[in-house]
Formats: sequence, structure tokens, C-alpha cells
Amino acid sequence: MTAMKMDIAHVAKLAKLQFDEQEAQKFEGQMQSIIDMVENLPPLSDSGALIDPENPMIMREDKVTDHCKRDELLKNAPQVQAGCVVVPKVVE
Amino acid sequence: MELYQKTAAELSKMLRNKECSAVEVTKSVFDRIRQKEDTVGAYVTLTEDKALEKAGEVDQKLAAGEELSPLAGIPVGVKDNICTQGILTSCASKMLYNFVPPYNATAYDKLLKQDMVITGKCNMDEFAMGSSTETSYFKKTANPHDPSRVPGGSSGGSAAAVSAGEAIVALGSDTGGSIRQPAGFCGIVGLKPTYGSVSRYGLVAFASSLDQIGPMGKSVADTAMLYTAICGRDPMDATSAAREYPDFYQNLNSNVKGLTIGIPKEYFGEGIEPEVKQMVMDAVKLLEQNGATVKEISLPSTGYALNAYYIIASAEASSNLARYDGVKYGYRTSEYTSLEDMYLKTRSEGFGDEVKRRIMLGTFVLSSGYYDAYYKRAKLLQKQIAAEFAAAFEGCDVIATPTTPYSAFKLGENIDDPLKMYAGDICTVTVNIAGLPAMSLPCGMDSKGMPVGMQLIGPKFSEQTLFDAAFGYESLVGGFTTSAVEK
Repeated sequence: MTAMKMDIAHVAKLAKLQFDEQEAQKFEGQMQSIIDMVENLPPLSDSGALIDPENPMIMREDKVTDHCKRDELLKNAPQVQAGCVVVPKVVE
Repeated sequence: MELYQKTAAELSKMLRNKECSAVEVTKSVFDRIRQKEDTVGAYVTLTEDKALEKAGEVDQKLAAGEELSPLAGIPVGVKDNICTQGILTSCASKMLYNFVPPYNATAYDKLLKQDMVITGKCNMDEFAMGSSTETSYFKKTANPHDPSRVPGGSSGGSAAAVSAGEAIVALGSDTGGSIRQPAGFCGIVGLKPTYGSVSRYGLVAFASSLDQIGPMGKSVADTAMLYTAICGRDPMDATSAAREYPDFYQNLNSNVKGLTIGIPKEYFGEGIEPEVKQMVMDAVKLLEQNGATVKEISLPSTGYALNAYYIIASAEASSNLARYDGVKYGYRTSEYTSLEDMYLKTRSEGFGDEVKRRIMLGTFVLSSGYYDAYYKRAKLLQKQIAAEFAAAFEGCDVIATPTTPYSAFKLGENIDDPLKMYAGDICTVTVNIAGLPAMSLPCGMDSKGMPVGMQLIGPKFSEQTLFDAAFGYESLVGGFTTSAVEK
């Protein structure tokens, strides 16, 4: 496989990150060397999903329980007003 | 000998024989913290008042003749990515600099139920991404054996605390070696349990299919005691296995006769320092001289494991860390013009460089056009690696390898070269990829005066076999003397 190139600006947009020019340059070099490392994988045929039949996932019952209080949860919010989290205007 | 130098098993006996009180043990550990913390820097947060209060309660219960857990009154450090109600849980990130969880992680809750004494929250690489604890937003942690060297990572604070006597035991978490590598670098014992045996509820997610909380201690017995306390099915974690677990500590058996040890040649090749190879093979030889059988095995896909690991772990991280948007908790940027602007600035200011690299890599390998080439192939390789281990375990009980290619490196030595840092994880990542349990145990000091770790890997849910083999080795060498409690 030929070396793939990462479009830093595009991926940063998807990841909701921004870099100034100097940072972008540093990241471009580093990310490219990381991609060059990880892309060396052997060809393998698709042989089904990786599951462990002896230890399957167990979902709990979808039931309402008294877990955390609203006030306690909101204590960590950066900005709260009238029991709600404040965010910038989202609808024009 | 000071109380902080003793093991949990020794202190447990002393508490019951009234040779010391839990308050005395806690005070001894905090005196040691005051003596060493300026140099070592193992903790992000210390909880001395709560610890002394809890120790006082334990003393009262003991005086009243209550039957308590063997871990009651034992001081334990907790890695800062494990949620502790009412105590800052920062993940060593600016992003969570003020996050005080409204609930407890299940593993931590279990420590409280055992009446353990919490010393504080241990430093780590930011969001557990790193191998040296240098990516922490708050501080660097030093190796207690040599402050110019790293303690390893990402559970570097937990390992340094136990090694230095700033905690008797500690909880870490391991996604690609983050318990075993720092345990190896600091000269202590660390177990990465079988995936699904310890609840991940309340462990801040990095790579959910690989993460596992595990115990760290100065001895195999201490590690077995702590593991017995934290393992078990938890309905709050869908990946937690429905099994019953024995008391691994009570069951410890040091007899290694009949144990078959596999030696995978791929783990003793180029890149592993000759001195490290020699010390691990000497340890294996000692087990062989005492009745174990040694055979060479092969795990052919090992050379690709690091690549698959960084693809899978970063892909999961990019998804898990999407939740940090400055809305409901954690850091929010101070000035913004729109919601989008708030997201961008919050995330760009709140995350450090290594976390950004992983998010970028993960986003890239999952993005349209690249998924098949990277993520899907990595997942196929994961299956192949798991199958190779399963085949190897048909002919041996445990596999022995070095924990790391070299002993602890200097602070700053690898931090600007991500590839060099990643390469150090070569011996540990395969275990997470295959969901297996593995331990690191000390096998002596190298010519630099730093501890070297041997890794023992077992089949899924074979923790007792690992503990027994490790306990056998520990007994043969007359106990481990590689921690820094005497420094």
C-alpha cells in the first residue's frame, strides 16, 4: 500500500480541533510518521466479528432508577441558569 | 522498619494483632508523603483528612471486635481517571481540571466497602495517553529510584506512590500497558486483569474495548488481595463477565512444579536490550530449576500488534473524547462567538498535544474512505492475535516476556518523539488486544540501578495461575526488594 496522506485541516474540522499555522506544521509531520507506522498491516480476509461466546455482553434492564440528583449533576456545568445548562444561541 | 515500608498483608496481620493502629499506618504513609512528594510528585490530589477519619473508624471497628476485610485500614492510592464521589477526578487534563464526580466508580466503591483508607488521586498521563506520566497537565512524576527518570505511564503516579511508600497499594488502569510498564519501571507488581473481570463503570473511557482497572502492590500477595476486592460482575458495565471469582489471596500457591512456561521468540528479538533479555531469562531459568517446564513458542503477528493497537485505541478514543465539548462539565473556553466556536476553542485549549494526536489519528482512521484500510484491518488483526495466543496456550500455562524493551528512561528523553514513545509498548499491547490477563513482576536491578520487569501472560480468567507462578518466583528469590521504600 502506498503511503496515505492525512489532510490535517479536514480531519481537524471533523474532530472539532483547531491548530494555528505553527502547530499545524508540527502536527502534519508527526501525524504523517504515525500513519506511516500504523499502515503496515498484513492482508487478512474478513472472517466474521470478534466476539467471545463464553463471555457475552449482558445488557441491564431498561429501568428508571434513582441514581444522580439533577442539582448534583449540574454542579459540574460551566454555566447554569434556572436549573438548565447555558449554551450559546443555536437557532437563528 | 517503618509502617509505610510494609506490605498490605503484613499490616493486615499487625492490625489484627494490635501491633499498630490504622491511624498509625495512615499517619506513617502521610509522613512519608510529606518527605518524598516534592521529589516524586505521585499525587494530583491528597485526601489526608478523609483518610485519617476513615482510619479512625477502622480502629473503632477493630476495637469493637467487628469482622473486617483483610484490606480494612490499608492506605490505597487511586488513579485520577477513576471516579471518586466528592473528590476531584481530573484525568490529569485541563479539560477536567474542576470535575468532581457525583458518583463512584464500581472498583472504587468496592475499596470503600472493604474499609480501605484512600490516600488521594494519583497522577497519570493525560486521559491515560502516554508511557511516562509526562503528558499530565498538572505535573511530572519522577521515578522514586532516580528522580531524573520517568516512572512509566500512564499509571505512573500509582506506581511511584507504591514504590516510594506513599501508598501501600494502588489502583491503576491499563489500555496498552499502563499498569504493567510503570510497575516494571518502579520495581513493583502490577496486574492487568482479563477484560471483563473488573467493572469499568466510572473509569473515564479511553478505549472501551481495551481499558481495564487493575491492582498494584509491592508483593504478589498484596496484588492478589486487591484484585480479589475489585473483580466481579457489575450490571452497570455490559462488558463485565458473569462469573464467580475465588479469593485469589487465600488460594496463593508457590509451587511451580508442573508449570509450563512458553517463551515467544518474537518478544526477545531486536529492540529489546540484551541486559533485559538476560534478566528475564535468568528468572525463567530459576523457575525451571524448581520444577517448571520451559518451551519456545511463536506468536507470529506480534510485529504488527503495535500498529493495530494504535489504530483501535485511537479510533475508540476519538469517539469517547467527543463528549468533551464544554457544555455539561469540565473546562469551557472563556470567550466564544457561537456554539461551534465554543466547541473548537474548548477542545483546542482543553486537550494537550498527545491527546490531540490520538484524536486526530482516530478520526482519520474512521473517516470516510479510510475505514476499510485501517480500522477494519486492525480489527481483523486483533482476531488473529487472539487466535495465536489461544493456540499457544494449548501447549503452555503462562507466557513469559520482558515487560518493556528497556528500564526507565530519562525525563524528556522521548516526549518529543511520539514514535519512539509508542515503540516502548511493544511487549504489552498484544495482551490488551487479545483481552488477556498479564502481570509485571520485578526480576532485579539492571546496571543503571533501575528495576527490570518480567511479564507473565495467561489465558482469559487465569489470574490464579498468574498469581501462583508469580508468587512461586517471589518465594524463590526470597521476596521482592526492588521498591524504593528504603530510599
